[in-house]
Amino acid sequence: MTLRSDHIAGGAFVAFGLLVFALSGDLPFGTLSFPGAGMMPKLIASFLIAFALLLILRANESAPVATVAWRDLPHAARVVAITAAAIALYQTLGFPITMALLLFALTFLTERRNPLVAAGFSIGVVGLTYLLFTVLLRTPLERGILGFQ
Amino acid sequence: MGTLESLLLGFSVALQPDVLWYAFLGCLVGTIVGVLPGIGPLSGISILLPATFGLDTTKSVVMLAGIYYGSQYGGSTTSILMRIPGEAASVMTCIDGYAMAQKGRAGAALCIAAVGSWIAGTFGVLMLTLIAPPLATFALRFGPPEYAALLVLGLIFLAYMSSTSLPRTLLMACFGLLLGTIGIDNMTGHFRYSFDIAELGDGIGIVPVAIGLFGLGEILSTPSATVVGKVIAPRLRELLPSRREWRQSAMPIARGSLLGFLIGLTPGSAHIISSFLSYGVERRLSKQPQEFGKGAVAGVAAPESANNAASTGAFVPMLALGLPTGPITAVLIAALMIHGVPPGPTLVNEHPDVFWGFVASMYVGNLMLLALNLPLVGIFVNVLRIPYAYLYPLVIMFCIIGVYEVSHSIVDVWIMLIMGIIGYGLRKFRFDPAPLVLGLVIAPTLEMSLRQSLIMSNGNWAIFFQRPIAAALLGLCAALLALAALSLMRSRKDWRSRLAEAETGENP
Repeated sequence: MTLRSDHIAGGAFVAFGLLVFALSGDLPFGTLSFPGAGMMPKLIASFLIAFALLLILRANESAPVATVAWRDLPHAARVVAITAAAIALYQTLGFPITMALLLFALTFLTERRNPLVAAGFSIGVVGLTYLLFTVLLRTPLERGILGFQ
Repeated sequence: MGTLESLLLGFSVALQPDVLWYAFLGCLVGTIVGVLPGIGPLSGISILLPATFGLDTTKSVVMLAGIYYGSQYGGSTTSILMRIPGEAASVMTCIDGYAMAQKGRAGAALCIAAVGSWIAGTFGVLMLTLIAPPLATFALRFGPPEYAALLVLGLIFLAYMSSTSLPRTLLMACFGLLLGTIGIDNMTGHFRYSFDIAELGDGIGIVPVAIGLFGLGEILSTPSATVVGKVIAPRLRELLPSRREWRQSAMPIARGSLLGFLIGLTPGSAHIISSFLSYGVERRLSKQPQEFGKGAVAGVAAPESANNAASTGAFVPMLALGLPTGPITAVLIAALMIHGVPPGPTLVNEHPDVFWGFVASMYVGNLMLLALNLPLVGIFVNVLRIPYAYLYPLVIMFCIIGVYEVSHSIVDVWIMLIMGIIGYGLRKFRFDPAPLVLGLVIAPTLEMSLRQSLIMSNGNWAIFFQRPIAAALLGLCAALLALAALSLMRSRKDWRSRLAEAETGENP
């Protein structure tokens, strides 16, 4: 049997549905006349599992999993890693430093652009955005521990 | 005082230079808010609410409402040019708007979106002025069973209209509904799936999910090496749609305006739901449904008209009854309350200058937006000149700022990143993330309505069939499901499955 993309997707959703049930253990289902906090999640998780099983049953209509293209995965992984680092640093370093680093990392490290152009672009864009928010929109951006507004 | 006299009073207020200035400011900021991915109308209004404390009531509410409907205009720009919804209601515009842009018709798509938005917005205000009270009264007859049935119909309707298979769409909707159950249960106070993270107590916001799935997810799926750097540089006259495109957009604009206004009267994120439904209706009515997804003019005109009309429709229960139909109208009600003006039935009689001034300002505001958006279309098109390698880091930056500024929660930004990764995975396995967002939006209302209905009936499900409106809505659900099953049994290939194959390239 050829493993198809809907086998994988359906399986993942069945597992997710079961996980919801496992995490809902302490949520009371209640009664029909007074439904509890667990009723809706368990009801929806049941439907989710049912639709996922239907997907697995009809998986022959989907493409073989080997044909799913992952060529863009390394680029996506780099973007995710840099964005995650920026999010982690955002409240500590504040808007100007974090965003300048984010833009520089994406344009220079991920896109291999000229480092001087990438640096100029990053600083220029952050400066303009800073003016837009703090002067025009009068919305303070995250200060960070370095005191930048 | 009759409607006409009242409206004249409103215009005498709205046409005062300072009120005009704040209406213009609201429209301008709203357009910018809509254009920038990641900054939705809710965050725009929330951020600027403190700035209106020093203004009088009329100016304050005129400016904040201008941001709301201005963002609906602006939201189409990034959807069409970058396939990133400026705000959630522009999700459907991404599909055909971006396809039109790829065909070199970006200017025409932007122009149709602006004109459609103007017509729908003006139509919406006209309806608000003339027939709002009876329509609002009808919507008030909806109790919990009717709301539950209406929301289920919305999901089934979306699944039926979707180009992907019924189980795939409903699976995505269930995923969204499950995400919508995260947070404090409003009826019992239980914390659900919050894992001791305080920020999750309020649930998962629509903004981080929509921006993550559609903004970041799209960026992750598009390595810059695969983006052809061909810049479209149309001149102003090239931005005008052709006669054929105008003809193709006329009826979708009309239908989208009507549908959008009616949906706008109901609670929930009507401006988002209306754009989904109007897109589905147009695809169903079209003689060439296979064109949808490939740059159909109706796929831009209908959702853009619908979300603008819905934005106006949402003001009916807000102004006449004091009922917020969503978070945005709730913030606007808060703005009125801060100024000591309670919205509701007394507003019209006790503060006619505020009520009618606000209504009249919307006529003026829609004209302003048309005047703002059409000449600026050329400037917006220039966004395409920026190389993608520089453009997407910029978008990621605005996504982070936009999501963070809504509630200054870094957890929301992490949610956006997780949703971006999920969106990337869903694309790989050919799932459409749009029903997920709809499921998330309607989850709280659906759950509340369902549980209230069961409490009302002492646990008897028959309540949904004993009340005429709810029964009729569920009858429609059954009919749609039967139609879907019928087409599956007859030939296994109706227009939706053919479209799905064409979209995935399985049957070129």
